[in-house]
Amino acid sequence: MKLTLDLDAKLPTGALGLAVAPDGSAACVACANGALYYVDLDSGDADPFDEKHSSFASGCVLLPDGKVLISGGYDGALLWHEVETGRCLRRVAAHNFWNWQLALSPDGRQLATTTGQYIPGGWKYEPAAETEPSVKVFDTATGNLVASFTHTPPVMSCGFNADGQYLAAANMMGEVRVWDLQSKFGSPPVAQWTSPDFTSWGTIKSHHYCGGIYGLAFAPDGKSLLGCGMGPMTDPMAGNGKMTWQRWNWQKGEKLDQIKDGQHGAGLMETVAWHPDGTHFIMAGRQAQGTWNLAVFNSADGNLVQSLDTKKRITQARFSADGTRLILSGAIGQPQRKDGKWPSWGRLQVYRVGV
Amino acid sequence: MMNLDSPDIFSGPCQVELLNGGDQRPGACRVDEHRLHRRLFIKGLTGGALASLASFTGLFHNPLFAAQTKKARKHCILLWLCGAPSQFETWDPKPGRPSGGPFGSIPTKIPGVQFSSLLPRCAGIADKLNIVRSMKTSQTEHLQAITLLQRGNPERAGFTRPTLGSVCSQAMGQLDSSIPNFVFLDPIPGGNEFETFKAGNWAGWLGAEYAPVRLGGDYTQFLNAAEEGIPQHDRESRETLRHFLTAKYERDRRSTVARSQNAAFERLKGMTASADLFDLNKLPAKDRERYGPGSFAQHSLMALNLVGHGAPFVMVANGMNWDNHVFQHEIHQMLVPELDRVLFHLITDLEQRGLLDNTLVIAMGEFGRSPWMNAARGRDHYPNAWSLMMTGCGLKRGVVTGATDEDGVEVVDKPYNEQNLFATIFSALGIDPYAEYDLPGMPTFHRVENQAEPIRELLA
Repeated sequence: MKLTLDLDAKLPTGALGLAVAPDGSAACVACANGALYYVDLDSGDADPFDEKHSSFASGCVLLPDGKVLISGGYDGALLWHEVETGRCLRRVAAHNFWNWQLALSPDGRQLATTTGQYIPGGWKYEPAAETEPSVKVFDTATGNLVASFTHTPPVMSCGFNADGQYLAAANMMGEVRVWDLQSKFGSPPVAQWTSPDFTSWGTIKSHHYCGGIYGLAFAPDGKSLLGCGMGPMTDPMAGNGKMTWQRWNWQKGEKLDQIKDGQHGAGLMETVAWHPDGTHFIMAGRQAQGTWNLAVFNSADGNLVQSLDTKKRITQARFSADGTRLILSGAIGQPQRKDGKWPSWGRLQVYRVGV
Repeated sequence: MMNLDSPDIFSGPCQVELLNGGDQRPGACRVDEHRLHRRLFIKGLTGGALASLASFTGLFHNPLFAAQTKKARKHCILLWLCGAPSQFETWDPKPGRPSGGPFGSIPTKIPGVQFSSLLPRCAGIADKLNIVRSMKTSQTEHLQAITLLQRGNPERAGFTRPTLGSVCSQAMGQLDSSIPNFVFLDPIPGGNEFETFKAGNWAGWLGAEYAPVRLGGDYTQFLNAAEEGIPQHDRESRETLRHFLTAKYERDRRSTVARSQNAAFERLKGMTASADLFDLNKLPAKDRERYGPGSFAQHSLMALNLVGHGAPFVMVANGMNWDNHVFQHEIHQMLVPELDRVLFHLITDLEQRGLLDNTLVIAMGEFGRSPWMNAARGRDHYPNAWSLMMTGCGLKRGVVTGATDEDGVEVVDKPYNEQNLFATIFSALGIDPYAEYDLPGMPTFHRVENQAEPIRELLA
């Protein structure tokens, strides 16, 4: 797989969430100033939607017809936006704390959202139990809550399988839970396991946890689940843990594969995405040490086949539906205020995908 | 003249020993000197209670003033937020600004003043707190900044100024107290630059008797284990013998090292006599639940209890956990609510127990955090404009002083530095901020140099 940069566009503030139009010609981006932008992927022109979140906009999804955008934010709200007019259609108070991540069911009828504040629950700063359901599912047509699930907060990633029957969500402690959405409301997870390879407990500077599984994606064939993040560090605030992905047989909670020794650098990996044909997947994030922050892996053997250093933090990666484009949202380090103005620090990149 | 050029913590005692009649060549150290130091050094139990450069002979201009300070039984609790908390996520929020971060702001008990939304409990008692929003200091790196904000004045090569806790220990402590005059609670042995600082010379030229006794976490368990492992009669016999031998050694050899070791041992002995005060399990379960389960919260409750039993100075830290270059918001979402809960209960409890008027409470780090986010989701070091909280003994309540610009980049009103801060602390505690240290053979030093003004709008 060959990746060629076609567009490198700027946005006013860090781009945290990304959704790609069905035809791959445009993307919607959720930014740290709370705003949502509609971006033409050929010109890079960006138009803001009318309504903003009152905190960071953390994610967004486009319904399959491309006419409605739903966004989530650190204000705990979900906003429905009409793409054509930019006006806000609906506002739902989904959580009492951040919406960490959104996922849309493949048929576009259900929206999963995750939340959870990290509050000390013990002497070692184990996370306290949730005070509201950490995972919720909303009806995208009505905005009604249709299901909620318990987890240990903070829950920072989620994803549906290909037919939308199963929902997976993962937290800071590396715990993954999978629920059957066709089972009775409030049913326990059908699978649950914990990987210790994504979480740090400080032994040098601090005694608390950080890290977690930041990206989660079912394989197109539905048999396996892929998660990404950063390996344990003795100093949780160094940001130099191993760039990590693991792939599990989710029905058994067994690890099938993981990033190979010698193929990784250090840094937080925030996103994974499968190419639509299922032959490859990518992982991306921020590089602290090494030679890349975006890499393509062969799904058959897990080997790295190509890597890039984009010189910026990547927050989300999405392939267009036809697999010919790879779109990345992200940020550079926020530049200092200059002459009373704040330079842009959000970025959106488009790569052409070749064989 | 005494050679005081080297800042090495091991150099002082050797030099002093030579002046006292050593028979070695100048500059050489005997092996046993180093061995004694290292034994003291082990596990930081004495918090770097190493020998001082010179004896302390007369600090105050007015002895009566000093006596009154001790008699007044004043206390200080320093919540040392090492690593440096973000002012944006605590006392000086900038909601909606590019520097503001994801957390909102909330109104407080003080009209027109807002705190971060992560501090709802403190917002409710803002009229009992004082906030300085205009700290402007000079050091950008941890070790230098910790040194600056712990000692209150810029370093001068070759001389080790005592830390705030050591000065207060000397000025407010009781030599015959069973509770150490300077207790340092920190469960984490490490801490990068803070670890380096912790291993150094806290008491400086005041002498080892004013260094902290370090407890918390595994250190407290060590104390309990030592206490339980030896029968009472055996302890007394051992102590009598140890006292005889070390006093003889100290007298015969005029050893500063032995004096330091004895001072440290006396403090540890006093501590074991009051070991129950350092046992969290002896604190009421309801209180422990109120403060929260984390080690910082539990140690803050322990600090309250120690002050209630007469401890003059207690410093609580939790490693260097505020240094959030990575995951700034993800970690501050946990640390700030814990601080909020701790401050609320600590201030409320001190007030309800009638201790707040005599206890100064300070919550601060060594600097603030940058208005701009780095690419690793973090905020970096920022000494140019930062905030702290202090209240209690000798201070008004409900004052917010100083201001930063709309983005928190620059101080725009009443900049204060570490000397202003220390002058305020000493004034509030009834300690002469400008007293001159009388140090034989050394230049003139003052508690606070340059006659720096205290933050007058805070002083009662």
